[in-house]
Amino acid sequence: MTDSSDYIVDLQQITFRRGSRLIFDGVDIRIPRGKVTGIMGPSGCGKTTLLRLIGAQLRPDSGAIWVNGQNIPELGREQLFAARKHMGMLFQSGALFTDLSVFENVAFPLRVHTELSEAMVRDLVLLKLQAVGLRGARDLMPDELSGGMQRRVALARAIALDPQLMMYDEPFVGQDPISMGVLVRLIRLLNDALGLTSIIVSHDLAETASIADYLYVVGDGQVLGQGTPDELMNSDNPRIRQFMQGEPDGPVPFHYQAPDYLADLLHREQK
Amino acid sequence: MRTRNLELTVGAFILAGLLALAVLAVKISGLSPSSAGATYSVHAYFDNVAGLTPKAKVTMSGVTIGQVTAIEFDKTRYSARVDMDINRKINTLPADSTASILTAGLLGEKYLGISVGGDDEVLADGSEIYDTQSALVLEELIGRFLLNTVSKEE
Amino acid sequence: MSVISRVALLGRAGLDTVSALGRSGIFLSNALLGRTRFGNSFALLLKQLYSVGVLSLAITIVSGLFIGMVLALQGYNILVGYGSEQAVGQMVALTMLRELGPVVAALLFAGRAGSALTAEIGLMKATEQLSSMEMIGVDPLKYVIAPRLWAGFISLPLLTMIFCVVGIWGGSLVAVDWLGVYSGSYWSNMQNSVEFVDDVLNGMVKAVVFAFVVTWIAVFQGYDCEPTSEGISRATTRTVVYASLAVLGLDFILTALMF
Repeated sequence: MTDSSDYIVDLQQITFRRGSRLIFDGVDIRIPRGKVTGIMGPSGCGKTTLLRLIGAQLRPDSGAIWVNGQNIPELGREQLFAARKHMGMLFQSGALFTDLSVFENVAFPLRVHTELSEAMVRDLVLLKLQAVGLRGARDLMPDELSGGMQRRVALARAIALDPQLMMYDEPFVGQDPISMGVLVRLIRLLNDALGLTSIIVSHDLAETASIADYLYVVGDGQVLGQGTPDELMNSDNPRIRQFMQGEPDGPVPFHYQAPDYLADLLHREQK
Repeated sequence: MRTRNLELTVGAFILAGLLALAVLAVKISGLSPSSAGATYSVHAYFDNVAGLTPKAKVTMSGVTIGQVTAIEFDKTRYSARVDMDINRKINTLPADSTASILTAGLLGEKYLGISVGGDDEVLADGSEIYDTQSALVLEELIGRFLLNTVSKEE
Repeated sequence: MSVISRVALLGRAGLDTVSALGRSGIFLSNALLGRTRFGNSFALLLKQLYSVGVLSLAITIVSGLFIGMVLALQGYNILVGYGSEQAVGQMVALTMLRELGPVVAALLFAGRAGSALTAEIGLMKATEQLSSMEMIGVDPLKYVIAPRLWAGFISLPLLTMIFCVVGIWGGSLVAVDWLGVYSGSYWSNMQNSVEFVDDVLNGMVKAVVFAFVVTWIAVFQGYDCEPTSEGISRATTRTVVYASLAVLGLDFILTALMF
C-alpha cells in the first residue's frame, strides 16, 4: 500500500510455537509510524507474545521482525542493547523495581544507557514524572503507591529515554474508572506530544477503540481482521463481529465440549 | 546515609568472619609462628615403630623439644628410619642419648622420648641417635612372658 | 497405568532433571562470566552481603552456641565413663570444625538465606521485574543474580567460621564453667589435636563448596520457577530440600576425600 518506511514495525510471516501449541502461523502485522495501534483478541491468543517478540525477549520460529529498519531476531547483543534504547514497554503489573524508590526507578534506564550528570538525570526524571502527574511522589517506594500510580510511574520509566516506540501490555486491566481515564488520556497525549508510535495490546474494547487509530484483531494464530475502529465495528466477518459486539455465542462457542445434554441427564436418572 | 550504615555492618560482618578464622588458627589449633630454621634435624633407627606417626612430638623429661618429620623403611638396614626436628635451643644433647617410643595417655598416642646420656659430644644437624628402644608390641610382650614362665617351670 | 507409561514417566522425569541441570549450568555461567553494562556492581554486592550474610548472623550464632554446648555436655557424659573428660575440648573442636560447623551452618543458611533468595527472585520474576529490566537493556542475570551469588559465596564461609568459634566457646562454657573440666586441659588438648591445615582449612574447603552449591540452587530455583504464587512456594521448598540433600551428600564425598 504505502512505502514501508511509514511503518515503524513490520512483522513478516511470523510463526511461533510454544510447546506443541501453534501461537502464530504466518502472521503479518504492520504498525504505522506515529499512530496508536491496538492489537486485540480473546484471552490467550498470544497478544503479549507479540510484544515480547518485538522486544526480542522471544525469538520467532520463522519470519522477520523489522523495527526501524533492523531485523530484530538477527541482532547481536550490542545492537540489541542499542535498539532497546528506542523501545519502551509498559508491563501489565507496572513491574517497578521494588527495592528502588520512584525516583530511582525512573532514573534507572537513564543511568544504564547514558552518562549524563546527576543534575541532568534529576531534571529528566522530574520532567517525566511531571508528565504522568507524579512528580510529588518521587521519594516514595513502590509498595506505598496504589496500582494505578505504580503503572504511571512505570510509564514515566518507559519514556525516560524518549523512545520512538511504546508498547503497552494490557494497560487497562483492573483499573478503576478514574485511573482508566488518566491512562487513556496519557497514552494518547504522550503519543501525540512526543511523536511516539504506540502499540496497545488489550482486550478492553471500549478504551482501546477510543484512542486507537488502527486496530488488529488476532485469534487462532492469525490476524482475523484489521482496520480503523469504525471499519471493524461494521465488519461482516462473524468472528470479528462476535468480538467487537461482545456476543457470548458465535464462532467462539459458549458451551465447552460436552456429550448430548438429554443423554447425560437420562444416564444419571437411570442410575 | 543508609549506604554508610550498610557498608559499616557488612564490613563488621566480614571482619568478624576473618577474626573467627584467626581465633581458629591461633587459639584452637595452636598454630604458632613457626620460626622455621630454628630446628636441626637428627635421625634414629628403630626395629619397630608401631603406631608412631609423623608430627608426633619429641620430648625430653616430658617437655616437647621437637617433632617427628618423617618415618621411612630403610632397606639396607632392615629397620625404620625416623627423622625428627629438634629445637635449636636444645643443642646440648649428648651423642649417646636414648630415643624411645613411648605411649601417652590411655588412647595410646605414640611419641618419642629422649633420655639424656653422658657423652661429651653433642648431637648436631644430621647426627644419628644410636641408642634406641622400639615400641612395645603387645604380642611380643605376651610371647616373652610365656617364654619366661615356661623356662621358669623347667 | 500400564508399566510402559510408568517407565515413560520415569524417563520423562529423568530427562527433565537433566535439562534442568543443563539450564542451571548455562544460567550460572551467564551470570558469572562476561562483563556488565552498568557501573556500581560493588554497591549491589554490598547490599546483598547485608541481606544474605549479616541477616543470617543471628541464627548462626545462636545455633552455633547451642550446638557447641550440647556437644560438650554429651561429650562429657560419655567421656567421663572412660575417665577421659579432659578430651572433651578436642572432641568439641574436631566435631565442629570437621563436620558440624560446615554442615549445620550450610543447612541453616539454606533454610534462612536460600529460601529468602528463591522467594525474592521468584517474586521479581512473577511481577515481571526481570522482564522489564531486560527490556530496558540490563541483563537481569548480571544485575540481580550475580551479586546474590557472590554474596552467598562470601557469606557462608564467614558464617561457618563464626559458627565454629562460637560453638567451641559455648562448649568451653559448659565444660569448664559448668562441668568443671580444667580450663587448661580443655584448650591445650584441643590445641594439641587440632591441626590448622587438616582440620580448620579442610572444614573451610567444605564451607566454600557448600556455599557455592547452596547459593547456586537457591538463585536458580527462583529464576526458573513458574511465575505464580504457587510456583514460588514450590520453588522455595525445592531450594531447601535440594540444598540440604546436596550439602549432606557432598559432605560425605568431601569427608571421604579429605579425611
